[in-house]
Amino acid sequence: MASTAPDRRGPAPTLHLPDFCAARAILAVVLIVELVAIMFALARQSLQDSFWIDLAGCSLFLLWIGLGCTAVLCRTRAWLQQMPVAQAAVIALSMLLLCVGLISELVYQVGQLWSAGQLDVRTMFPIGHAGFLLRNLAVGFIVSALALRYFYVSAEGKRSVEMAAQARIRALQARIRPHFLFNSMNTIAELTRSNPERAEQAVEDLADLFRASLSDAHTQIPLRDEFEIARTHQRIEQLRLGNRLQVIWDVDSLPMRAQVPGLIVQPLLENAVYHGIEMLPAGGTITIVGTFHDGRIEIEVRNPIPVQHNYVEREGNRMALENIGQRLELAWPGRARIETRQEGTEFFARLIFPYTETAAHHFTS
Amino acid sequence: MRLILVDDELPARDRMRRLLAEIEDCEVVAEASTGEQALAQCAELRPDIVLLDVRMPGLSGIEVARHIDSLEDPPAVIFTTAYDQYAVEAFETEAVGYLLKPVRKEKLAHALRHAARISPARLTKIAQSARIEHRRDQICARLGEQLRLIPIADIYYFLSDQKYITVRHKNGENLIDESLKALGDEFSADFVRIHRNALVAEKQISAVERCDDGRYVVRVRECGDVLEVSRRHAAELLRRIRGEN
Repeated sequence: MASTAPDRRGPAPTLHLPDFCAARAILAVVLIVELVAIMFALARQSLQDSFWIDLAGCSLFLLWIGLGCTAVLCRTRAWLQQMPVAQAAVIALSMLLLCVGLISELVYQVGQLWSAGQLDVRTMFPIGHAGFLLRNLAVGFIVSALALRYFYVSAEGKRSVEMAAQARIRALQARIRPHFLFNSMNTIAELTRSNPERAEQAVEDLADLFRASLSDAHTQIPLRDEFEIARTHQRIEQLRLGNRLQVIWDVDSLPMRAQVPGLIVQPLLENAVYHGIEMLPAGGTITIVGTFHDGRIEIEVRNPIPVQHNYVEREGNRMALENIGQRLELAWPGRARIETRQEGTEFFARLIFPYTETAAHHFTS
Repeated sequence: MRLILVDDELPARDRMRRLLAEIEDCEVVAEASTGEQALAQCAELRPDIVLLDVRMPGLSGIEVARHIDSLEDPPAVIFTTAYDQYAVEAFETEAVGYLLKPVRKEKLAHALRHAARISPARLTKIAQSARIEHRRDQICARLGEQLRLIPIADIYYFLSDQKYITVRHKNGENLIDESLKALGDEFSADFVRIHRNALVAEKQISAVERCDDGRYVVRVRECGDVLEVSRRHAAELLRRIRGEN
């Protein structure tokens, strides 16, 4: 098999971070820091009777740390988001800890300088140099890890909602092309006079096709039914294109009971006609081949295309292929895909998915 | 009225023919299933009106209309389409005749009464807004009563004189009635301007030579012709040849 580029659905997950350079984010950081400072001051009040002094010191210190970390994330955000999640998280965490450590050390040193000779260092840093640093690093680690985890989870949640919404829109778009509808209507208009029986059959076929396309996008149907929908589509196109359209079906080795998301084969056939056969004056042959082994079903649709034709990039084609890929991904996350390739004047689209007899993963949102 | 019916789908032609038979005073003199066929028929039969499907294999209806315009006294054009959002928007804006399939008889009759020739400028605009590849694959030259399609890939160069442009290509040369500037814009990817009056296919340039008097000339690979390079275009030409942009 020639090299193929699997069509990945949606961007790979990356560590999503809010834009820390924006004024909103900085304001949020300041507010959170103040709340944490108040919390600390409140917690310590039972021991010492100096709430406002405590709060001021704590605020000043935490603001330094909070804004320092914000600056670090602001600068490195673009870079971090290019990496895989785990790597980005480790690097972000290390950078934040480094930032906390540096600021703590700075504060300790400045404190030492100021208090030189006047105050006992012990009153300002009651737990000593190492203790001060370690304690800050521990708090920094917990807070940073929680924050990163929060960003990741909220971005993932948003992403899956977006994916589901997109899949729904795409399912709508996948429904019968208006081009096909109006051309079919035109054919039927002619047949009502010249061949009423065929016109009747065409109307029945069109009705079946629409019923299939109007059903719930996440419904799974037996492979047999999906092929029947594709063959119905083929019959209507045949009326219009006559001998220009030839289709070879070689799918007998497939388990027809396999459950698949509706409309994954029919759009491939529709595309093959719309971008391939229809664009060739002499027409051509579409070949649909199914193979089944190791519990894996592969369906390949092959069609001729005009020379010098960048097939995949055509707007409609790309959208239909992405759409199918997304619905495969929703049905079998990580285990199904669509591959496409162009060899000279032939285009290949191949669906690969596991054999499941009962409706597999149902997407809910 | 004499008509030519152009559509790649037989049922669509059948229906149109039947509708036209019911309309008085019109006669279908020919039917074509491709744009190339339609052009030959237009040149030969000189119809009054051409009913042109927009989406066809090979030459699209809009391209055919642009080529038809090379004819002396070109026929009126009415486009037909089942669904083509962008083309229909373009037809509306440019106010050219079009019909949506399935066509109604009354609308067809009305369109025939108001059919008019479409100017090249409007066709270019339509091609642009219909998102049809603006760059043609071939250009059309008139040979007396015939139209000849010359594939762009076969063209060596365009040379203009006062009135016409000579197209030198693999199978000889022809005159066309277009502007060198427009050709230069349309085919800027493959053709390079070497003189106010000359446009050469970049891949056909075998050598750029410097003459004794300091001027440059271009030698054309396949026909061996030598063309003068103007001072103004020399720098640009050398840059392109060296692959700099």
